[in-house]
Amino acid sequence: MTMPAGAVADRLRLMLAEVTGRPEFASVPDETALLHGGVGLDSLAGTLLLRRIQREFGVDVAAEDMNLDALETLATLAAFVAERAGTVS
Amino acid sequence: MIKCVVWDIDNTLLDGVFLESPDQPPPPDAGLLAAARELSDRGILQALASRNPPEAARYVQQATGLQFAAAELGWDSKADAVGRIAASLDIAADAIAFVDDDMLERAEVAAALPDVLVLTPEDAVQAPDWPDFSPPVLTQEGRRRGEMYQARLRRQAEAASFGGSREEFLRHVGTRISIAAARPQDVPRLHELSVRTHQLNSGGAALSEDDLSALLLAGGHQVVTVALADNFGDDGLVGGVIIERNGPGPWRVPVVMVSCRALGRGVLDALLAWMCRAAAASGASSLAVPCLVNARNVPMRLALTTAGLRADQGELSADGRTVFSRSLDGPLPALPAFVSVPGGPA
Repeated sequence: MTMPAGAVADRLRLMLAEVTGRPEFASVPDETALLHGGVGLDSLAGTLLLRRIQREFGVDVAAEDMNLDALETLATLAAFVAERAGTVS
Repeated sequence: MIKCVVWDIDNTLLDGVFLESPDQPPPPDAGLLAAARELSDRGILQALASRNPPEAARYVQQATGLQFAAAELGWDSKADAVGRIAASLDIAADAIAFVDDDMLERAEVAAALPDVLVLTPEDAVQAPDWPDFSPPVLTQEGRRRGEMYQARLRRQAEAASFGGSREEFLRHVGTRISIAAARPQDVPRLHELSVRTHQLNSGGAALSEDDLSALLLAGGHQVVTVALADNFGDDGLVGGVIIERNGPGPWRVPVVMVSCRALGRGVLDALLAWMCRAAAASGASSLAVPCLVNARNVPMRLALTTAGLRADQGELSADGRTVFSRSLDGPLPALPAFVSVPGGPA
């Protein structure tokens, strides 16, 4: 069973606010870039986000996505996680 | 190799029980204090985990003169306390030793964190003689490690109350990143970085001091160091890269290593941006960084992809690492004004 991407995106927004310490990120739009401009995750905040995603959704983004393209925008990350969450791989 | 020793206080680091004599708390245990000082001088961090009020940590710090990188005082589980210390210092459980006189506490930590080395106080007195507590090299940076972790706690407190972007924060705290050609006196520290760094390491083999000295003299290579400081403290040399220069052809970077202390402080991003710009300026067409892909160095891979490098599917280096590369046409990553580079502004 997969999860709705919208629900995953909402959860990811809260995680973004937590790992960056920027509460305003809890309401960024879906098309916000995560690495360049936009949220501007650095390697520390990015790693914390990936660890939380793994803990909460059981999806190891770094292991499945060599170039971390999933981190392009909030929407691409939510879709990537939603597709894999709750499935046994 | 042990990077941090977590000490219990009562009947361990102190020769008695803190709360039993509030007017005159017990003195440090002489044998353990000598061991802790010796380990601290070797660059091994010291931390406290104790069922005591926070005053106990202040008393122990003052009575021992030790700089504690972390202190967990309270009444919840010791295993949780040790886990929080490991997370806050970003040190893996297998690089932590835990010392407690209480058998039940030792058993609880050993059960919950099987990778932690659990010791009785009697064992810990001997620890300085053991190989796991004897780092092969001891550098200026290594000796000052405890002090730097204290600066880190103050920096984190400042970051928690700062609202702006990461780069704005780095400017706000007066970050200074200096990229420079390596000198012969940097060799011991570069060796230490090659042995100790994992999260921000592209996965090359450890480099001996002889290897590094030879590379400094050999033509065809460029060995570069990066130093880091801000208003909270001077971290000294925190990273190094080795660049193979093939004239105007592609630049290949077999070694990238940065201390985890520099995580989140713009160092790796600055190094990668400088390499892109310096390679482009010398007429190179591309920059390639072979990188081991594993769970530990995800921060390294994030920095590579942020700097526009991508893994060519299936392309492996001679030692089996995945090759991340980028063309140097078009826009290059920006270098913040707080970064100084060899030969002046890039």
